[in-house]
Amino acid sequence: MHLIQRFKLESILLPFSAILVCGLLWYLVAGKSIITEKVDDFGDKIKVTKRAGLSADLPTPVETWKASKLYIEEPFAKRGELDQGILRFTWMSLVLVVQGYIIALVIGTPIGFFLGLSKKFTIAFDPIIQVLRPVSPLAWLPLGMILFSGVKIVNGEGRTIFGASDAAALFTIAICAMWPTVMNTAVGVRAVPQDYLNVAKVLKLSKSKTLWKVLVPATLPYMFTGFRLSLGIAWLVIVAVEMLTGRPGVGGFLWQQYNANSYAHIILCILTIGVVGYVLDRLMSVVESRFKTA
Amino acid sequence: MSLIEIKGAAKGFGPAGARTEVLKDINLAIEEGEFVVIVGYSGSGKSTLINLISGLVKPDAGVATISGETITGPGPDRGLVFQNYSLLPWLTVEENIALAVDEVFKDWTAAQRKEHVWKYMDMVKLKPAAHKLPKELSGGMRQRVAVARTLSMNPKVLLLDEPLSALDALTRATIQDEISEIWRQNLTTVVWITNDPDEALLLADRVIPLLPTAPATLGEPILVDLERPRDRKTLNHDPKFKKLRTQLINTLLDAKGRMKPKASVKLTLPDILPEDLTHVNSLQFLNRSGPKRRSDSKREEVEVAV
Repeated sequence: MHLIQRFKLESILLPFSAILVCGLLWYLVAGKSIITEKVDDFGDKIKVTKRAGLSADLPTPVETWKASKLYIEEPFAKRGELDQGILRFTWMSLVLVVQGYIIALVIGTPIGFFLGLSKKFTIAFDPIIQVLRPVSPLAWLPLGMILFSGVKIVNGEGRTIFGASDAAALFTIAICAMWPTVMNTAVGVRAVPQDYLNVAKVLKLSKSKTLWKVLVPATLPYMFTGFRLSLGIAWLVIVAVEMLTGRPGVGGFLWQQYNANSYAHIILCILTIGVVGYVLDRLMSVVESRFKTA
Repeated sequence: MSLIEIKGAAKGFGPAGARTEVLKDINLAIEEGEFVVIVGYSGSGKSTLINLISGLVKPDAGVATISGETITGPGPDRGLVFQNYSLLPWLTVEENIALAVDEVFKDWTAAQRKEHVWKYMDMVKLKPAAHKLPKELSGGMRQRVAVARTLSMNPKVLLLDEPLSALDALTRATIQDEISEIWRQNLTTVVWITNDPDEALLLADRVIPLLPTAPATLGEPILVDLERPRDRKTLNHDPKFKKLRTQLINTLLDAKGRMKPKASVKLTLPDILPEDLTHVNSLQFLNRSGPKRRSDSKREEVEVAV
């Protein structure tokens, strides 16, 4: 009992002190406003604000909170196309991520199966995959723009609802997020115990039955590990994609606020992206652990 | 004609150069309805032998036939029960058995197939566990599911590859009796592989020792003409059983004994005796009459088996 209490206290107290230390460091590095009174040429008294500190433009934690309060307290407000509550922006980003992510899984999983099942396919495509895998999202996006330059879906009122930049965004997310799913599925298929394959052989299961009743269930744990890693990457990519395309979303908001010299909001965005990424990862690992036992 | 015949079969594994021959000169004929047990040491090639019949392994030389037809691959006429059960862990007991039934009896109605599945679950007394996953079952229950799954395919021959070696002794005894009973009722041909001579004699009509020569080959079969049903308690004191057991164990031990160092090499120890170098600077060391040769004192030889 005593031990549990101590453990609980530690698991709360230690992270909090770490956050406190980081906050303090942030405060020390951040610039502070120094307000001085001065008499100007006309003899009037005016206040002059000067920023000083190690990084003069970096807002302090308190300033960040003050500037971000509105966005957090009204998370779903829409004051304008580029001025919305933080969760509203997050939601827009999430919708895009999910679309790209689903494309990644639908394409990546079968490729993984082919890689795992066929040695020839692996030998043929492995070099291409290894070369494409480390390419950054920033490099894929322009290619996507060119690839889908003709895409334009217009609604009744003549407004474009799905254009080249949307297609390019999805393309970039999908192609970057695909690889962990491809690799893990391939590894999983290769790791299917020979016993299960022997069962399929002895029972003379048909090809499709072997796939659905033996291979897929045996590979599921590996596949879900891949899915989790893919989701992490998809969420990483979204920020870059939104910055480059100027789409509204948490990444687009970040870039726009940087250009507007509103530095406090950048920190708000970074924290939001981090928290959302963490939550997504936790959710996926809950799903993943459900399949671990199989 | 025998149901299963193997003639002059040989099998080895590995690439040329680093090849291990596992089996050679395997000749075997199994009659319909016969209960044959093959006994051998662990790692002597028993699994390879049964896989020649199941079709999972193709012989390098010789031929294996069932009902006169050459075995080229696995088939539903030869039901194989694996050593480690090999149930699919994501399927329930019923689904595991249904997997086999659905595949073999495709032209039956769904109701017929379901009834067939339940018949075999009943046979191995697993009806109450129908909707459980393999991980919720004990080892003995899992092996019973594996046996039911295999029997449900109505195979001409039931092949069991060390089916009970992963079970504790008490459970093993129970399942031996159960499978023996199922066999008596159905009279399917059974080929059973084991490393336990007692198990072999308790179950079999005919016991064939697999001799641990390298590569392994089959020994003289031993006919077990003990009356059925056999009771393990009285059997232990049966002089006939005792005699058969001695005969079987001796066959296996003799073969193993003959395997012992056939080839040995005589090694001569180094000729010069080691010197004591702890007092190199002493007068004694300086005045010694040079290094001593071992051959001066005595000649030693060591025999090493290879």
